[in-house]
Amino acid sequence: MKEYTLLAVLGAVAAVALDLLLRTYLVRQLRFWIFWGVMGFMTFIINGYLTWRPIVEYGESFCLGVRIFTIPVEDFLFGFALITSNIVLWEYFTRRFCVPERPGQAGSKR
Amino acid sequence: MKIEYSLILAIALAGPLVLSFSKELTIYRSARRLLLSVALPLPVFLAWDMIVTARGHWSFNSSYVIGVYVGNLPLEEVLFFVVIPFCAIFTWESVKYFLREKR
Repeated sequence: MKEYTLLAVLGAVAAVALDLLLRTYLVRQLRFWIFWGVMGFMTFIINGYLTWRPIVEYGESFCLGVRIFTIPVEDFLFGFALITSNIVLWEYFTRRFCVPERPGQAGSKR
Repeated sequence: MKIEYSLILAIALAGPLVLSFSKELTIYRSARRLLLSVALPLPVFLAWDMIVTARGHWSFNSSYVIGVYVGNLPLEEVLFFVVIPFCAIFTWESVKYFLREKR
């Protein structure tokens, strides 16, 4: 397997593992996938521009060479790994540091 | 344009940054929450980026970065890992807010 492809898959798996480990269980929530619909669109604009210009150029021997528009497919997994870790931690710390906005909302009172 | 990568980040950040102060959202309720959620993944992704940039997975076109480097990464690439997570957190809170309103 190509190196970037492998790392991107591992990164995405690690982010999901973090979600399960910290018991935030975002992957089970519909709103998380709706959020990804929005972020996927944003990725297209930002990453699309970076790769189209190109501001970032890729070593073809390290990735599959499969691109959506000008974006290597691995980039979507890289972005997923980064942003999912951020959101998992955000929800984890929301539970730890913030009182839930409304009773019955995600997060326990303490 | 040397400022093109910076400009992209600024454009991405502008809307979320302004709207993040909305009273409907609770993004700044806890500084610890915001700092830790952005800062904890940062070293992992910077290390990933630095190692694979050295290996040749990708490279940065010097025509579009201002020319300040942190190790082998343009400053813009380092800021990417702060700007994009912030935009994502803003988007996540907005999605939660809008879905909550519809109930």
